[in-house]
Amino acid sequence: MTSKMKYNMIRRIIWLLLLVVSPLMALCNDAASALLKKGNDAYAKAKYAEAIATYQKLVDGGYQSAALYFNLGNAYYKTDEIPSALLYYEKARKLSPGDEDIHVNIQLANLKTTDKLDEAPEFFITKWWHAFILGLSLNTLAIISVLLIFAGSVTFILYRFTQSVGVKKAAFYSAILLVFLGVVFVFIAGRQADYFESHRQAIVFSGTVTIKSGPGRASKDLFILHDGTKVDILEHNNEWMKIRLSNGNEGWISATDVKEI
Amino acid sequence: MKRRYCILLLLLLNTSLLFAADIKFTASVSKTEVSTTEQFEITFSVNGNGDRFTPPSFTGFLVASGPNVSTSMTVINGNASSSMEYSYELIAVKPGSYTIGPASIVVNGKQLTTKPIKINVVKGSGQPAQQGQQNAAQQNGMDSRVTMKRPGSDISKSLFIRAALDKSNVYLGEQITLTYKLYTRVALVGSEPDKLPDLNGFYSQDITPKNPNQQVQWTTETYKGVKYNVANMKQTILFPEHAGDVTIDPISMIFVVREADQSADDDDMIGQFFGSYNDVRYKIKSTPVTIHVKPLPQAGKPIGFGGAVGKFNISTSLDKNELKTNEPLNYKIRISGKGNLKLLKPITPSFPADFEKYDPKTIDTIAENENGQSGSRTYTYLLIPRHEGKFTIDPVKFSYFDPSTGRYVSLPTKAYPVKVNKGTSESNVTAYSGADKQDVKMLNKDIRYIKTEDVDVSKKGEGFYDSDLYYSLLAFGPLLFLGALVYGKWYEKNNSDIVKVKSRKAGRIAAKHLASAKAQLSANNSKLFYENVFRGLYGYLSDKLNIAAADLNREKIAAELKTRAIDERLINELLDTLDLCDMARYAPVSGISEQQVFDKAKNMINDIENEV
Repeated sequence: MTSKMKYNMIRRIIWLLLLVVSPLMALCNDAASALLKKGNDAYAKAKYAEAIATYQKLVDGGYQSAALYFNLGNAYYKTDEIPSALLYYEKARKLSPGDEDIHVNIQLANLKTTDKLDEAPEFFITKWWHAFILGLSLNTLAIISVLLIFAGSVTFILYRFTQSVGVKKAAFYSAILLVFLGVVFVFIAGRQADYFESHRQAIVFSGTVTIKSGPGRASKDLFILHDGTKVDILEHNNEWMKIRLSNGNEGWISATDVKEI
Repeated sequence: MKRRYCILLLLLLNTSLLFAADIKFTASVSKTEVSTTEQFEITFSVNGNGDRFTPPSFTGFLVASGPNVSTSMTVINGNASSSMEYSYELIAVKPGSYTIGPASIVVNGKQLTTKPIKINVVKGSGQPAQQGQQNAAQQNGMDSRVTMKRPGSDISKSLFIRAALDKSNVYLGEQITLTYKLYTRVALVGSEPDKLPDLNGFYSQDITPKNPNQQVQWTTETYKGVKYNVANMKQTILFPEHAGDVTIDPISMIFVVREADQSADDDDMIGQFFGSYNDVRYKIKSTPVTIHVKPLPQAGKPIGFGGAVGKFNISTSLDKNELKTNEPLNYKIRISGKGNLKLLKPITPSFPADFEKYDPKTIDTIAENENGQSGSRTYTYLLIPRHEGKFTIDPVKFSYFDPSTGRYVSLPTKAYPVKVNKGTSESNVTAYSGADKQDVKMLNKDIRYIKTEDVDVSKKGEGFYDSDLYYSLLAFGPLLFLGALVYGKWYEKNNSDIVKVKSRKAGRIAAKHLASAKAQLSANNSKLFYENVFRGLYGYLSDKLNIAAADLNREKIAAELKTRAIDERLINELLDTLDLCDMARYAPVSGISEQQVFDKAKNMINDIENEV
């Protein structure tokens, strides 16, 4: 009789969880979704300007999603606005770092930019680490970690109440594993959020911009960048930003010449 | 010799002298400009018969001979006139300006004087001037009155080459005109070059004669008091390339000189006249000259000074101010003036770094003449802007050194704004080196298509991560587990005594049995109703009193209830009800309704529950 009751309890908990999580999985705004679909239709008919206008309406309305940014980037790419395309691709990548489509399109768009930058080689462990923490989107990581922790807890409860020794043993080890994985995912999510927080980047939008040695027009010219080049933002100083290129060069750029990702 | 004949003639004709009415007494010299040690003649003449001639004092001159007196008489239409000349041969001693004072003579009791004569004495060679007349250039050059060289005399005095410089103390890079001049006083039959100077340490530029077909232009020139036939053999503009004293090597040439025959006597007019001569070859070398080259001053040297020395002007021009990307743009810099134009380093204007630029096209219009190099040099820069934007072509920094003032001069030029608009087909440009990016094949690939499946969008800042919900859900699992642990503890504590558990659950089970009885009651199934009430009560008591089902009977129940100090009346009532239910299973019951039985059973269970 007791085991039957336990089963009932677990069933109840799962129902509760589903009730809570399922709306999260489908946080969808009907009107916004309709707009996005409208934009996609315009894109499919090669009406790129119209698609851009539609997507942009969503973006201006404060909506975001990897798909929205990605599609908007595509539309800009098709109209040959490479800097804008790159800006939205990068925004999309931030929301969905592991997406291969986004990677491929960023590479293709980068072919059309002027500046050739040899990326400073990354230490292989750093590279792996970034690939590891950026593999999944933040929300996916968050949901996975919640589910894992929950599953681990339930398995612990099972371990606590089961009568069979075999089940108890299996439940104990799997519970430990699940909770550990859950903690790992929480950690990864935290690292990813931190990574994007600290790795602020921008895209150069001016056709040609001279990078100065300090904030101010009077500073010495260091080098020249062209539109579409991605830079890391190191520092803000009024109207000026300290930036670093992927090849390691640093300098100051007027904040009006770039758009932050 | 001549004079002896003249004096003889004079003495012969001295007998009768006639007077002319108008008497003049004048002084004249063979030349007013003489070189030292040169002989010249001064003649005082009077057209009458004078006596008591007083010569002036020839201070500064040596009287070589004189006074030589000559008289002449002419009879024209019966009128006889006579004249007298007193002449002196003078030799100038020291250079300078001298005045020969007046001479005086008494004619017919009247004293006459001459005007003083000014003589300019220049320093000269010991050679007496043989000819001094300006002679226009002749077709074959030479002055026809050039004497034939006398054998044995020093050839270097009458034929030499002089390297003449317009200045010998110059700055580095300042232009100098070097002229090789041939000085000759002898007849030249031919010439051939022997050795030309190397001109090491100079950038040199020969001045080409204006009319190369024409033969040498001869002029006469007095050099060290001696007149020579002079020809410019070669003119070169030199630009010193390093500082210090630089010596120009001598030029060497071979000349063929027509020389009088050795056997002819000096004074033999006939021998000279009929010209028995020899042609002799002479090798003539010029004397080396030294130029003192000063380095350019370091003080005030402008940045970007490119070594221009002279006097220059700069002008710049741009063919358009607004254009589209990938269109050509021409920027011209024109430097004009006098100086080492050909040595100018290409000016490197600072164009916007983003412009594609090509090496400049240089056009020279430079002329060389005796005054040096002058003209202009134009640099044309082809620029191609590859990106749109507003640019500025910065002013060119051009500076030169002016040797006449010894200062650097920086010339300002204009800055040009250039507006570059976006061109039509930027992607067609192949100017970027293609190898540096990715495979060209990749260009044929298109971007991945848009995402059409996932149409969910969310407001910014509504991400699941970092939200309150996220943290509460994260905590939910562990809290659940904690709750389960607490529950488990409590559950175990309550269920450790089986008897207690059973008695605790008895009332609920009875209620369950009575609940099925109630269902039968409403279905009016009285038989099943009583049975259910009976079973409910028995089951309840069995559990509550911990009596095995086998031992369950009236007596046992009554005894057990009594031991638990249950009210006697309640026990009896319970037993009656049990009997009633037992009976009602077989025979219909009267006097009590089913509803009353049900309430009674329920109340009794409640009462027992309360008391036990």
